Amino acid sequence: MAKEAANNLVETSDYIGHHLVNLTFGWCEKTSSWGFAHHQQDISKSLDSACNVSDMGFWAFHMDTIFMSVFLGVLVFGFFGLINSSAKVGTPSKLQNFVEFVHEFIGSAVSSGYHGTSKIVAPLAFASCLWILSWNLMDLLPVEMANFFGQAGSGINYFKVLPTADLNAPLALAAVVMVLVTYFSINTHGLGGFLKELFVVPLGPLEFISFVSKHVALALRLYGNLFAGEMIFILIAIMFGQFFMSFSQTLWFLPGLIMNLAWALFHILIVALQAYIFMMLTIAYLNLASSKH
Amino acid sequence: MNINATFFAELIAFCIFVFITYRYIWPSMASVLEERRKEIDEGLQAASESKRQLEEAKEESGRVIDAAKSEASTLINQAGSRADQLIDEAKDQATEEAKKIKETAESDIAQSTNKAKETLKEELSVLVVAGASKILNKEIDESANKEIVDQLIKEL
Repeated sequence: MAKEAANNLVETSDYIGHHLVNLTFGWCEKTSSWGFAHHQQDISKSLDSACNVSDMGFWAFHMDTIFMSVFLGVLVFGFFGLINSSAKVGTPSKLQNFVEFVHEFIGSAVSSGYHGTSKIVAPLAFASCLWILSWNLMDLLPVEMANFFGQAGSGINYFKVLPTADLNAPLALAAVVMVLVTYFSINTHGLGGFLKELFVVPLGPLEFISFVSKHVALALRLYGNLFAGEMIFILIAIMFGQFFMSFSQTLWFLPGLIMNLAWALFHILIVALQAYIFMMLTIAYLNLASSKH
Repeated sequence: MNINATFFAELIAFCIFVFITYRYIWPSMASVLEERRKEIDEGLQAASESKRQLEEAKEESGRVIDAAKSEASTLINQAGSRADQLIDEAKDQATEEAKKIKETAESDIAQSTNKAKETLKEELSVLVVAGASKILNKEIDESANKEIVDQLIKEL
């Protein structure tokens, strides 16, 4: 009984660990070559020469994150571009109506939050909001789906469909925002004014820390919410999966199902809200940077 | 929590998508919406303009009708007075005519009366002369007694 519980525990942690690994392609120090990384679990079974994720330094790419984000980007922006290319001034079609609704929604958010004159803010808000939303929606796919199809078809063992749960992606967005905020600030206050604001007024170097942490927090807020949401899906899935492992835990099936549904419904809110919050904060930061105070 | 080169890939991808949005997606939809907004604005303006014009036309037509009415009433009044005038004139004329006719008739009557008187006097003088000559049996020298006869006739 105790052994079984321990086994279960190992399986559970393996299961969670499995779901937190990206499909990584990178430069392996050990073998001095480019290649896909293996996970700790597989290493024991495979050759010593195989490269672990931890053997890879900075020069590694999460192929699943990149593929999913670019794929979703092409899908979303392709859709909007396609509808735009056939947009009419007269009575709009239903799809055009939808596109116009999104446009007006984001446009009104920008015009109410940003009082500068830059033409980049609205497209930036639009792109970040929709891209993040499309990422976040991937969280609603069943957690096991990607691995299931991956293992069945291509032999890819790890595939995280949710780019938001990879800190690199939100951090890249926040970095773009930070660069723009810096540019806007320098544009408005001049380089001297910006540096003064960053290091002198009113709390000294603390301002610089606040400036950086503001943008890191922008990324971490998004990442944390979606990562936690994904984690809860995984935990519910474990509960759900126990049904297949042992009969004594069959009773977990029903609560698992209900909790999965409940969390998915609640998560829809988080999915949309986090994309919205990221957009609104981007607008607010840019507005702050471009206003004289 | 492993930060690696994925960051740069995402950075580049985001920049590209922002650029696409900035260059193609956002302005085209904005221009479509702006154009439609303008069209609706123009439509509303045209509607209010035509409403105003309708109001004006109504006012104008009211004014025209009023003018026509007053003109008609003046015309009627004029016609009435003109008719009265004509009637008066006709009356006057008729009266005058009648007077003239009467005068003519009177003068005619007087003339013919005088004529008749003259004739009668002449005839009477002839008769008197004839009667007197019969009585006297003698021819009265008309020229000798003409003075007496004329005197006589005058006294008649």
